[in-house]
Amino acid sequence: MTAALNQYSESASDWRAALSRNSRRTYLVIALFILLYILLGLLIDTIVYFEISYHTIPPQDIFLDLITLKLMPRVTIVTALIGIVSLIVVFMFHDKLVLMGTQYHEITPNSARDLEEKQLYNIIEELKIAAGLRFMPRVFIIEADYMNAFASGYSEKSAIVAITRGLMKKLDRDETQAVMAHELSHIRHMDIKLTLMATLLSNIMLMIVDMLFWNAYYRGGRRREGGGGGGYLMLIIVLLRYILPLVTMLLLLFLSRTREYMADAGCVELTRNNEPLARALLKINGDHAENTALYTKEYNQSSHDSLRRTAYFFDPTVAGIKSHNALGEWLSTHPSLQKRLAALGFTKKL
Amino acid sequence: MLLIALAILVVIIGFVIFTYNALIAIIESVRNNQKQIDVQLDRRFKVFESLIEVLKKYMDYEKSVLSDVTALRSQSQEAKAKGNLAGQMAAENRISGILGGINAVFEQYPDLKANQNAMQLQEEIVSTENKLAFAKQAFNDSIEKYNATKKSFPTNIVVSAFSSKLDFDYPYWSLGSEDDVKAKDNYTVKL
Repeated sequence: MTAALNQYSESASDWRAALSRNSRRTYLVIALFILLYILLGLLIDTIVYFEISYHTIPPQDIFLDLITLKLMPRVTIVTALIGIVSLIVVFMFHDKLVLMGTQYHEITPNSARDLEEKQLYNIIEELKIAAGLRFMPRVFIIEADYMNAFASGYSEKSAIVAITRGLMKKLDRDETQAVMAHELSHIRHMDIKLTLMATLLSNIMLMIVDMLFWNAYYRGGRRREGGGGGGYLMLIIVLLRYILPLVTMLLLLFLSRTREYMADAGCVELTRNNEPLARALLKINGDHAENTALYTKEYNQSSHDSLRRTAYFFDPTVAGIKSHNALGEWLSTHPSLQKRLAALGFTKKL
Repeated sequence: MLLIALAILVVIIGFVIFTYNALIAIIESVRNNQKQIDVQLDRRFKVFESLIEVLKKYMDYEKSVLSDVTALRSQSQEAKAKGNLAGQMAAENRISGILGGINAVFEQYPDLKANQNAMQLQEEIVSTENKLAFAKQAFNDSIEKYNATKKSFPTNIVVSAFSSKLDFDYPYWSLGSEDDVKAKDNYTVKL
């Protein structure tokens, strides 16, 4: 597989620029999410006040009054509170969810059974020093043949990294270190927290829009009369119901890919070397292509795979491995192999 | 008018306090990172000693390797005691070179590769060297951050106002003079 890297021309990876560029993009996406969330709350507020006033005040005036705080945006405050509470609840249970459905065991300096496991622990301990982390993440091995790894944990104390047996066996020390540096960078950049937050917000939003839609649908069915602006409020709700899922999905995918680039750049920052990561990516991609049938079975056997999908080092859908969960299948959470390599400074020779 | 002047004063004082505290935090992280290097250096010497113990059973090794490393180690300790960071760096960098050579020797002895104990120690050496390299990297990165913050405007005004507390000159951990690098490259490990 090392020969494969010869087909690429190498240049230095500017990880500082990559980090700042992608962190700007993240702020943008998160700001958009929060804006959408607040707008949705304001929309419901408008509808509620519109109904209370028996359709006498035009909705646009209500909306203006809400923004200028002449009217109390009650629903917006309530939905914001719901958002915050559910975020806290999910953060509390997430690290238990992520290993669900896999066969795993934890490695500690004392429980390492052979040199290979000790070496894995050492590798992560080295990176901990490079990253200046004040804690040592818990290390898990997943007993599976496919090559993959992921990180989880929303706080420093609950941080874990997990790696499959297949990855450990097939990568050399430097390559394993590069993959683990990528995962530790996810933890350093607080990506788990971030993606969870965005996913949760978008799910709450979709639920609210759904409720709004059916509510308006049944009421609209009962009484046809609805003067003064009620018509285009309905239009907005219908549009939202069909467009919002698409918008949030695209935003989530964009966010996830951005964070992958950042983790790759973070790996170069830690190891000051872009080559092992590029080698590991090519090896894993080649390995997935060779064993597509077997790995498809294994990925699907471990249930709740979609929980880990965005956290994976390598998204199996990039190599054409489909899961039985059909939603958003053709859209990968990770950038393509060529793009990731290009961001690392490796472009394919013609 | 008075109110505006007061507001500006509060903002300025707030800025000075904030900058002062931020710089103190950076300085402490530089110091901590420097101590981390010492921890790894100490650990490396211990691993090296146990490695030599194992190697003794396998071969008539040149006693010079152990005595060389020990001499360099005490040289480094002496320099550190005198506060001579450059001297310490030079001595420790030469030990790094010698240990790199030992790993090459390992490859030539199939017997050694069968010995679980020796393999474990070799992994320890590799890992410790990596930890050392990463600790140096973290040290240099924190110095970079300190220097960049210290020299930027308007932080530099605050620094010059409290120069005894905030203004330090930390040297980067580097390979040292050209002679040191040469001495390190020329060293061949004979076991």
